[in-house]
Amino acid sequence: MAEPVLEVSGLVKHYPLTRGILFRKQVGAVKAVDGVDFTLGRGETLGLVGESGCGKSTVARMLVSLERPTAGTIRYRGEDITRLSGKALKAVRRNIQMVFQDPYTSLNPRMTVGDIIGEPYEIHPEVAPKGDRRRKVQDLLDVVGLDPEYVNRYPHQFSGGQRQRIGIARALALRPEVIVADEPVSALDVSVQAQVINLLDRLQSEFELSCLFIAHDLSLVRHISDRVGVMYLGRIVEIGRDTEIYDHPTHPYTQALLSAVPVPDPEAREHRERIILAGDVPSPTNIPSGCRFRTRCWKAQERCALEVPALAVPEEFRRTTGPAAHDSACHFAEDVSIRRSAPEVVLPPEETREDHVNGSA
Amino acid sequence: MPDQPYEPGGAIAGTGAGGAMDLAASEGASLEQHPSAASGGRAPGGPKGTGPFGPDASAAAGGRARSLGSDAWRDLRRNPVFLVSALIILFLVFISLWPSAITWESPLQCDLAKAQEGSRPGHPFGYDGQGCDVYTRTVYGARTSVTVGVCATLGVAILGSVLGGLAGFFGGTGDAVLSRVTDIFFAIPVVLGGLVLLSVVTSTTVWPVIGFMVLLGWPQISRIARGSVITVQQNDYVQAARALGASNSRLLLRHIAPNAVAPVIVVATIALGTYIALEATLSYLGVGLKPPTVSWGIDISAASPYIRNAPHALLWPSGALAITVLAFIMLGDAVRDALDPKLR
Amino acid sequence: MLLEVRDLHVEFRTRDGIARAVNGVTYGVDAGETLAVLGESGSGKSVTAQAVMGILDTPPGRITGGEILFQGRDLLKLKEEERRKVRGAEMAMIFQDALSSLNPVVCVGDQLGEMFVVHRGMGKKDARARAVELMDQVRIPGAKERVKDYPHQFSGGMRQRIMIAMAIALEPALIIADEPTTALDVTVQAQVMDLLAELQREYHMGLILITHDLGVVADVADRIAVMYAGRIVESAPVHDLYKAPAHPYTRGLLDSIPRLDQKGQELYAIKGLPPNLMHIPSGCAFHPRCPMARDVCRTDVPPPYEVSEDRASACHFWRECLDG
Repeated sequence: MAEPVLEVSGLVKHYPLTRGILFRKQVGAVKAVDGVDFTLGRGETLGLVGESGCGKSTVARMLVSLERPTAGTIRYRGEDITRLSGKALKAVRRNIQMVFQDPYTSLNPRMTVGDIIGEPYEIHPEVAPKGDRRRKVQDLLDVVGLDPEYVNRYPHQFSGGQRQRIGIARALALRPEVIVADEPVSALDVSVQAQVINLLDRLQSEFELSCLFIAHDLSLVRHISDRVGVMYLGRIVEIGRDTEIYDHPTHPYTQALLSAVPVPDPEAREHRERIILAGDVPSPTNIPSGCRFRTRCWKAQERCALEVPALAVPEEFRRTTGPAAHDSACHFAEDVSIRRSAPEVVLPPEETREDHVNGSA
Repeated sequence: MPDQPYEPGGAIAGTGAGGAMDLAASEGASLEQHPSAASGGRAPGGPKGTGPFGPDASAAAGGRARSLGSDAWRDLRRNPVFLVSALIILFLVFISLWPSAITWESPLQCDLAKAQEGSRPGHPFGYDGQGCDVYTRTVYGARTSVTVGVCATLGVAILGSVLGGLAGFFGGTGDAVLSRVTDIFFAIPVVLGGLVLLSVVTSTTVWPVIGFMVLLGWPQISRIARGSVITVQQNDYVQAARALGASNSRLLLRHIAPNAVAPVIVVATIALGTYIALEATLSYLGVGLKPPTVSWGIDISAASPYIRNAPHALLWPSGALAITVLAFIMLGDAVRDALDPKLR
Repeated sequence: MLLEVRDLHVEFRTRDGIARAVNGVTYGVDAGETLAVLGESGSGKSVTAQAVMGILDTPPGRITGGEILFQGRDLLKLKEEERRKVRGAEMAMIFQDALSSLNPVVCVGDQLGEMFVVHRGMGKKDARARAVELMDQVRIPGAKERVKDYPHQFSGGMRQRIMIAMAIALEPALIIADEPTTALDVTVQAQVMDLLAELQREYHMGLILITHDLGVVADVADRIAVMYAGRIVESAPVHDLYKAPAHPYTRGLLDSIPRLDQKGQELYAIKGLPPNLMHIPSGCAFHPRCPMARDVCRTDVPPPYEVSEDRASACHFWRECLDG
């Protein structure tokens, strides 16, 4: 892997639950993030997938210092940024920027587009001298595919996709090294999503950005990421290169998640067997002992309730070098080479997919 | 706000700072253009549809550049309720600034011989119990009412929104203390509080009354400002500015205040009407303004014993009071409709 | 045909002008059939469904033309009272946001039971018993104990099941599901879609599934109607449409979604933006975004050309599109 830009280890965020008005008493905690480790290499895109409430957005907010972690460290170029404040924090913020999910609430409705994209320069005046700013703003608009003449318009005059471009331009203004994108296209229409994804893809290589891409859409994450981490209930349960995760998942949750994704191919539906998980995600205030997935897992045994599985290459794959040898937090990890279906399922014939491959080429 | 269109070329020439500076500026520009030129080179030939949009450029260009404020103004201009109330208020402001423009006498010039007389030429509203001209006194009374209303509202709005806004923004202990304090103030009955507090004041100016209103009125605005700030603060654009490293004062002044101010304006406008009514109530009860100040409340109070013989002396100032209060409340309603984006 | 919508027109009068949300939609559903209505926001897919259900907000909405034939009767000609009898009993709707569609202060048992009390004149006790049965049927674990719980005590997936239970309570002939799984997580989404499909088979209901998700459609639908700017641009059996789309918009949509089973290069992106309903482009509404557009597209509205017996495409050049 390339030299790491961000190293996250043991990241924890608990929100205390209190009772009482005057004398607050802690009665528990929402364990939104409960021990997350990963590294992000230079120029790499790491995708983080998981269902709602798994803590992926909280991780994003901690990376850009909008939340202070309860425990753990986030090292940016070797320096722990979780305890920084004042000038030092401001300097770090220049290098880690965020793209928000909702393009309708992420732009101040009372500011013009020029002011919104120019604000980073006002906050960090050392980046661009005053006379240069307007030109820089117009350049940024051009980079994200908007007409530079739009600087004096207000956000409400733009569509969702265009607003998201403005949000991306703002995040790029300071030339950050790391971009954290939290569900950047989930609020957009299907036909516009592709435009924004292509833009992000292009900018990432053009500006050599390291990117943490958070989404619930597994197909999207595969499309854009070099490596993928799967989160469940505040932890990463499996992480690896995209082919390792998507074609050789070893954690049962990843397998279930992959098998549940609807595939836009009606031919597949007769062939495909899905793992339908029972029940719902447990509450983050009351996380099951041992393996947190065991309450919904069809493989769960006694050991799963007693021992917390570590996120490491499972024992049976440790000596191999194949794609199954990647980090997976399961006691009973097994390589299920799936394309779009569950264990022991006949893969649909290749030709059924060929049409679309050709169609999109 | 640095809103003025800044023309790069023109501004550089305008400074006349000389060739060196121009050169530096243009070089900086050309350096900056590099990435965009690269992308511009890629977009048309290569990937499908990643270049600048054709159609949506025209779609966006269709709309005029306008702010939400001017949007609200466009709404208001078409609202008859707003037009009527605004005209009444403009008229009130006018006569409180220049009452002599439409009156001929001094409001303190009274002739007991004419007491309780009815309408006659030159004195359309007749005379009150002291023989003073009701028309003149009603016109002059507008000044105190408007002064008290405007000053009390300004004081309440400033104190309330600053305290409430800061509490909402910073949260924590200060917020908890402030919330309890506002609860205590809400528990004080306004008229009773006025009777107790103002009865010890001997000053004949309007300031003690205004001070009292600010004292009891700020918690209302403070609550609204606090709630509004908390709502606005959750918007992603505030988070985005924070992630950029913006200071608290920038967050508050640039991002939160302009978006949180609308409900404060609405409530303050409506409150203005009620403060005018409160001033009249307190004056009527004898603890507000005191003669020789001219005020509708004092006149209503003075006229009430003669209600059978000279109802006109009571009706005119009360009518003026009612219309004024109504005008401000209607204005507040119209402003709320215009500012509330949910009603669009 | 169970339901037939013919040349339906709906417009909304707003402050800024008239938005033409639906401009001549024609589609039909048979008993036991699943029709997927696919479209982006503003394509008119939900408005059409609201018009069919008779829950369109009027004003500002207004049905300006067309007919809605349900079991042979034109619903638009019925009196409001007769219409109400159809609603709920003969056709039911499932919404995207289950939490806001359920009354938060009434327990789910009473909300389910109310259907029987109002429409079937049952006693409270019988209605409660039926409610428990229904909850069992939509596989809510521990239905007997949970019947007295309030909506907020259920998870999102369970609430959507309650909505489904409510919809099937009176065994309607038609169910309209408006983005029923959009708010749910992938694993829960699969559970709910499975349940819906199973119940549909069991009761032989017609199902109109309104969605923007091409994956969900491929999983459950028999036929698809693709909507754009208030018109149906293509309607086809699901297998045919995915194999070879006959409209450039459909083709663009299919190409623009990333695939789970392959890591693509650059995604195909349909250029531009969905149209503003106040100013729908002349001719074919898709022409400003269409890679195949020619002069005729700017002037002539394409009629639904018959591609094959049960397939139609509103594109002047459907033959070329079909050939790729």
